[in-house]
Amino acid sequence: MTIINQVEQLITQNKVDIFLGYKALDGHLIPHGFTRDNLDELKDLQIGENRYSLEKIATHLTEKHPDIKIGIIARDCNQRALNLLYTWNQLNPERIETVNVNCCPSPLKPHGDCSYLEPKQSGAFKKEHGIDFNIDPDSLTESYNNNERFSRWMYEFGKCIKCYGCRNICPVCFCTECSLEHSSLIEPGTLPADIPIFHLVRATHMAGRCIDCGLCEDACPSHIPLRLLYREVNEIVSSVFDYRPGDGMEKSPFTIIGDKVVLEPKPMDAIIQGKK
Amino acid sequence: MTIKRITFLQELLKFIGLEGRLHLEWISSAEAQKYVQVVTDFTDKIRKMGPNPLKIEKIDDVVKGAI
Repeated sequence: MTIINQVEQLITQNKVDIFLGYKALDGHLIPHGFTRDNLDELKDLQIGENRYSLEKIATHLTEKHPDIKIGIIARDCNQRALNLLYTWNQLNPERIETVNVNCCPSPLKPHGDCSYLEPKQSGAFKKEHGIDFNIDPDSLTESYNNNERFSRWMYEFGKCIKCYGCRNICPVCFCTECSLEHSSLIEPGTLPADIPIFHLVRATHMAGRCIDCGLCEDACPSHIPLRLLYREVNEIVSSVFDYRPGDGMEKSPFTIIGDKVVLEPKPMDAIIQGKK
Repeated sequence: MTIKRITFLQELLKFIGLEGRLHLEWISSAEAQKYVQVVTDFTDKIRKMGPNPLKIEKIDDVVKGAI
């Protein structure tokens, strides 16, 4: 059964009120809501390389119409985002129907830079062609010292034009009040953005939330390697809290207050001694 | 949980290149000596590390330097 049939069934059987997918418009796939009243539009439903945070649209729709039933095209990253939004009570799994599609368009997608794909183990194609942008954050820490990393990141952050694209595209950014719009933290109307605080605030807020879809980096007009930064955030969260956002229905450890831990505070002179 | 959160922040700052400028310690109100010791040690440590690079580096210089 083709995807179009599947979606048509969902809509005609009243399982969903609206189906979020992609529609071709002038050669580009744009996110589109398919409904019962416009069934003929379904022939334009397409799956391609273009990605968009459809679950963000679902969150906004649910905000306005809490009872709406939404169908959604889901790649792995969309599914992770949905899981995460369920655990944060932004969406209700009973009101979401997913139609799963390949993680990205075959043959083994040219845009395969997803950390969940485990590049070295997922097929001869990727072994041969490599995976773009899949830099391991550890290699950055290993190859460059403190000062080098600092000036590199300050250079990257300095390019920011404060378009808020990274936040606006982010499927797991759903706060009604955003710290990045707080005038005492981020001064409005000035460029460059207050760095590095703008990006560090976002990075800390991504802890326990970022599902590594990479849309922020795709959206960034200044090519700031945001995905690398949030990947490091994810690695720390995974090592400190043993939590992988979106993997299951487990709640973020940042929502839990108090828990017996075995970590010891770091001795203060460890770093200085280590350098001698 | 605090220690985990601070560990997270320490690691993030390390990645950005601001390693060692954040310290967490539990001190009771009855431990005046420990308080003095910790603050003195941390001040010494920070002094050895030099000023905060954010303060001395102007954004323009960083951008020009990198180009």
